[in-house]
Amino acid sequence: MLFNSIGYLFFLPLTVLFYYLLPDRWRRIFLLAASYFFYLLWRAEFVLVLLGATAVSYFAALKMGEISNKKQRRKYLLLTIFVNLGMLVFFKYTGFFTDIVNQLAGIAGNKRLVPVYSILLPVGISFYTFQTIGYTIDVYRGVIKPEKNAGVYALFVSFFPLVLAGPIERGRHLLHQFHAKQSFDPQLFASGLRLILWGMFKKLVIADRLALFVQPVFERPALFHGFEVAFAVFLKLMQVYADFSGYTDIAIGSARLLGFRLSPNFNQPFSAQSIAGFWSRWHISLTTWLRDYVYFSLPFKFRGKNVNWRVQLNLLITFILVGFWHGPYWNFIIFGTLHGTYMILANVFKPVMINFNRISGLSDRPRLLKYLNIMATFLLLFSTGVFFGQHTPADSMTMIRNFADFSDSGAVLMQMVRNNDFMLGLALIIFMLWFESLVATQGFSVKFKARSINIRLSAYLFMLFFLLVFGIFSSQTFFYFQF
Amino acid sequence: MNRNKIFFKKLFVFFLLVLAGNFLMNTVYDHWMYYNRMNRNQDRQFNAMPDTLKYLMLGNSHNIIDPEILGNSFSYVTPRELYPQTYYKLKYILEKTSKRPRYILLSIDPLNFSPKAENDLTFDGYWKKYLDYPEMMRETGHRVYLLNWVTGRFFSYVGNFKFMFNSIPYLRTSFKLIKHGYFPRRNYRNFGQEQNREALGLQRATSYLASYNKTSELGTVRYYGKILDLCKKYHIRPVLLRMPLTDEYLKSAYAMVDIKKLDGEVIAYTRLHSDNFKVFDFRNKFHGRPEYFFNADHVNPIGATIVTKKIKYLLEMTDTDNYTDSLSVILN
Repeated sequence: MLFNSIGYLFFLPLTVLFYYLLPDRWRRIFLLAASYFFYLLWRAEFVLVLLGATAVSYFAALKMGEISNKKQRRKYLLLTIFVNLGMLVFFKYTGFFTDIVNQLAGIAGNKRLVPVYSILLPVGISFYTFQTIGYTIDVYRGVIKPEKNAGVYALFVSFFPLVLAGPIERGRHLLHQFHAKQSFDPQLFASGLRLILWGMFKKLVIADRLALFVQPVFERPALFHGFEVAFAVFLKLMQVYADFSGYTDIAIGSARLLGFRLSPNFNQPFSAQSIAGFWSRWHISLTTWLRDYVYFSLPFKFRGKNVNWRVQLNLLITFILVGFWHGPYWNFIIFGTLHGTYMILANVFKPVMINFNRISGLSDRPRLLKYLNIMATFLLLFSTGVFFGQHTPADSMTMIRNFADFSDSGAVLMQMVRNNDFMLGLALIIFMLWFESLVATQGFSVKFKARSINIRLSAYLFMLFFLLVFGIFSSQTFFYFQF
Repeated sequence: MNRNKIFFKKLFVFFLLVLAGNFLMNTVYDHWMYYNRMNRNQDRQFNAMPDTLKYLMLGNSHNIIDPEILGNSFSYVTPRELYPQTYYKLKYILEKTSKRPRYILLSIDPLNFSPKAENDLTFDGYWKKYLDYPEMMRETGHRVYLLNWVTGRFFSYVGNFKFMFNSIPYLRTSFKLIKHGYFPRRNYRNFGQEQNREALGLQRATSYLASYNKTSELGTVRYYGKILDLCKKYHIRPVLLRMPLTDEYLKSAYAMVDIKKLDGEVIAYTRLHSDNFKVFDFRNKFHGRPEYFFNADHVNPIGATIVTKKIKYLLEMTDTDNYTDSLSVILN
């Protein structure tokens, strides 16, 4: 079931209604049943994968809780990681690795060595396997105690607002919320409704509208050039942001209606002043997960003030993994490698840049420096966007080649200006970025709440009807569901 | 507890305002949207037509035939019309009015059989009068028709900002130009004057023909068969038209669809449902003549006049009361 489907329009209110009508002891069971029903609607057999991931991590964590010997505990941790990553690799990366083996065999003059199977990817597997691995590592490290209630743990893994595309939650943040008695909190409920409205707006009005322009260019890159490619890459970045952050807002909002607070996943990523800053604001639950469970787990710790190449190597490995997590394509590996490389270069040239800013006087003009940094970061992101939106390096290279061709640029620009969807899309992007920066400023919420009820109701009504009139209601799936 | 009560009161008021706003938007859109007004105007004109009507043009905007030239005819084509809609409109005419045309003229262009056309009903606010949505759902298995039913009745404005804004300049239009249902609204725009015809051809072809695959199991195709069945039942002769397309459109269309194979499949399917149809093929009629087009796949009134005269000539040449003959394809 998609968040932007008619089904969800019925599912969510009914779930919320029954949840509050039921006595507290039945609520968790009800939520678990609702979550599995929600997941079942995708494909019934995928529930087995979800159940498998849940059962293995649950029992391994319980066992770890019983044992004090670290070596013994490690065995259970490795078992969970092996099973969960094994499932992820099997479903998501089998095709990628068999392709490599067969291509190598082809180079060596052999025929296809490994048969190629088409394996369907269980939706959400990249998210819930990471969640279960994170939980068992936390239990192993002693950060949290193992969850004894199997139902609560199963709910932690399958909770419907987050099972399809995160946020990737931590046990220490969510599990205790499932144990606490939830009473109806009107403020939290209202904030949930607001988030759902804003998330729907970003998805249906902005992301799906931008897709109208972006999709043809990325699907047939050979046919487009110059400004068309440039704008398509720019709009793709915005589309993915509006889509994924819209999804996250709906997920967080839906959880709030039930009285739960999920972790934030975005914090104005396009106002980041560096690539490192971008990743601390984009898909926060994934980057913090990789930081805590991969980057810090890699050997070679940071020592001293000088550039430590082993630390940089860890950074590169982590970001190649970030890229590869997104999908079994070389393009995502290139995407991750570029991000890792940009960060290493930023670290290496940091002293040079500080000197340059001092000499040029930019350090005395922090506002200008900030905007220059934001622009530079965006240009770097732009350079990786060609790879993020495509699956094959060949298509990305076609786009890069065609990008340099600005013949007929005047006619192309005029055609774009005349395109209603394009112009509306640009206006909506500006609105989205402005509005989110406004909401993030301190005091906005207080000031808005201080306004009369008529003004607030009118604002919500305007937003809702704007969404209804300008939205695209063809139930386009969310971009991150493919991951 | 008191806090909760206040909250629910506010929520209830908001809900009522949403309902009221929705009712207002739906009513205004339904009455004032340009195409709805135009289609209803066409309905009124059709009702005023004499029962002796001989030719009835049905289908979408591709089917541009001037009824004044053809004589004793009515153009009941509407924008973005699909075969299910054509079927129910024809059924309505035959079952609920006393009009019995002898011929229906229907286009059988590749876009009519495109998978893109499946589930792509528009203007439900107008079509709700004709369509039997539950039956469509049963026939095709597409639950989305239920949504169309709800949309047509309660949310016709949803997602339609373009139609809403495009209707504003026409709020005072009286549709006087519409005669016998035909509206030469495309003026005399000349596609030959367009700078990037290739790109425009590709754009139009892509919008309906991209991702063309198996067509025979589509609901739209089934409804095409049902139209022919209905014609058979009421002794109406179907005249199936391949309307002119620009070279630029055809170049892209041939790259996306095996048109020759599709044509063969369509004729074979037609033979299953009809034994007295005619096919007039004008697809390449205006080869190298972009000036007869409004855009890549619609003739302008000049092109329409030429095609209509040719159709009139062909219909007069082949007019017969013998409904069992099997005239098939006449190439032009």
